[in-house]
Amino acid sequence: MIQMFHVTKAYPGDPPALVDVNLTVEKGEFVFLTGPSGAGKTTLLRLVFCAEPATRGQILVGGRNVARIRQSSVPFLRRNIGVVFQDFKLLPHRTVLDNVALALDVLGVARDEARQRAQRMLKLVGLQLKTESLPLKLSGGEQQRVVIARALVNEPALLLADEPTGNLDPGLTQEIMSLLSDANVRGTTVVVATHDLPMVERSQKRVVRLEKGRIVSDAGGAASVRRVG
Amino acid sequence: MGAVAKAQTFWRSAVEGLRHQPFVHAVSTITLAIALFTLGLARSAAHELDRLVGSLGGEVRVTVYLDPRATPEARGAVATTLRGRSMAVEEVSPRAALERLVRELGPAAESLRGLSEDPLPPSLEVRVPERMRAPESLRALAVELRGTAAVTGVDYGEQAVERLSAIARAVRWAGWVAFIVLVGATLIIVSATLQLAIYARREEVEIQKLVGATDRFVQAPFLLEGALQGLAGAALAIAGLAVFRQTLSPQLATLLSFLRLPGVAADARPWMEALELALAGAALGLSGSYLAVHRFLRA
Repeated sequence: MIQMFHVTKAYPGDPPALVDVNLTVEKGEFVFLTGPSGAGKTTLLRLVFCAEPATRGQILVGGRNVARIRQSSVPFLRRNIGVVFQDFKLLPHRTVLDNVALALDVLGVARDEARQRAQRMLKLVGLQLKTESLPLKLSGGEQQRVVIARALVNEPALLLADEPTGNLDPGLTQEIMSLLSDANVRGTTVVVATHDLPMVERSQKRVVRLEKGRIVSDAGGAASVRRVG
Repeated sequence: MGAVAKAQTFWRSAVEGLRHQPFVHAVSTITLAIALFTLGLARSAAHELDRLVGSLGGEVRVTVYLDPRATPEARGAVATTLRGRSMAVEEVSPRAALERLVRELGPAAESLRGLSEDPLPPSLEVRVPERMRAPESLRALAVELRGTAAVTGVDYGEQAVERLSAIARAVRWAGWVAFIVLVGATLIIVSATLQLAIYARREEVEIQKLVGATDRFVQAPFLLEGALQGLAGAALAIAGLAVFRQTLSPQLATLLSFLRLPGVAADARPWMEALELALAGAALGLSGSYLAVHRFLRA
């Protein structure tokens, strides 16, 4: 699903955020990216969904080389990638249902069908009674569940989550992780960036650790120990 | 199905945008209304100017002096040629010309009484159709006639016609310059105002792009908002012009009566004027919002 070959990302005036990263994530995998703040986790996710280009190296997502993709094709790539952020990124003036249906509106799905599918997804994340609420009326955990519903409503092949449990208490963290695991069981490839080590250890999934922009370990999951890039 | 669903989404998003930022959109709409009102007035003024030039042009007569020694057939041929070009030709005999001169001179005409024969040549008084009243056309006609054997001279008030045309030309150029400046200024104000609206919704744009919206999908509601503002501005301008014409125009006409101006007249086809203003408003609103959203997406 994701292949990164010798990827470097540098910003002018700063040390490189990523240095010569080689990483392969197979279709249907669940991978944690861990490491201290500034290790390059968020940068790696941003390169995968084309928020910015790599300075060097090649990145293939679903077989497409994102380094060579035209700017006008980026939206079509993103339609296959669900994204979850720590700061939610919900539209405050729109209802929960409208926020989730937005991902389908963009695809041109008819309004009624989009609302039905959004309803089903909200039921799946346990928010069927909050569809007409505004996001700011919800708790942090509920808002994060809305974001996950929005990320999954168009059944993307890949889900990227950047610190999805960063602001949540342990109970809610477990709930969110269950939702991500469920999506993975249904076939979605999931990559989660987090520095919540206890949660990572409990999950028994593949863990890729980054430090100062380099992959320093890659273990767990299908292979107990992987090649370090 | 996709296109219809997207159109519905754009419409809802545009209406929502207008509702959430009424002040910003009111500023744009009023700017557009003022610009369209000014354009409507300028258009009426240009119409009046054309009428004034046309009415003065109607006074222009070409006098063709004929050679008294030429045969009647040769002189008649000149008149026939001119009539063949849709010109009204009045033949003035030497006697009729003298009588006219006597009438015009009044008491001073006594000195003409002693003349034994008619001193004035026969002539043709020609009224030129409107399409041929341009100075270039009149000059070409004069040159052509002067080259005819039976013609000894041509007089068409050359200086007056050219001055009048020069004034009309200058006023029209000034009008075009003012039009371009007005449209440019309106576009700058509208796009700057709409950019504020877009900036206030930058988070929404960012989220739309995160979930895979194309630039066109992001642009469409803003363009629709611009067009709706343009139409609203046009409606205000049309109402303003109607009020202006009913209240101030008659007073203006009285003030300018010495110029024989009828004031700022209503368009002969008010629906056409309304349609033109509505189209101009929608075009200005669309262009302003396109500039704003294009600049925002490229930033």
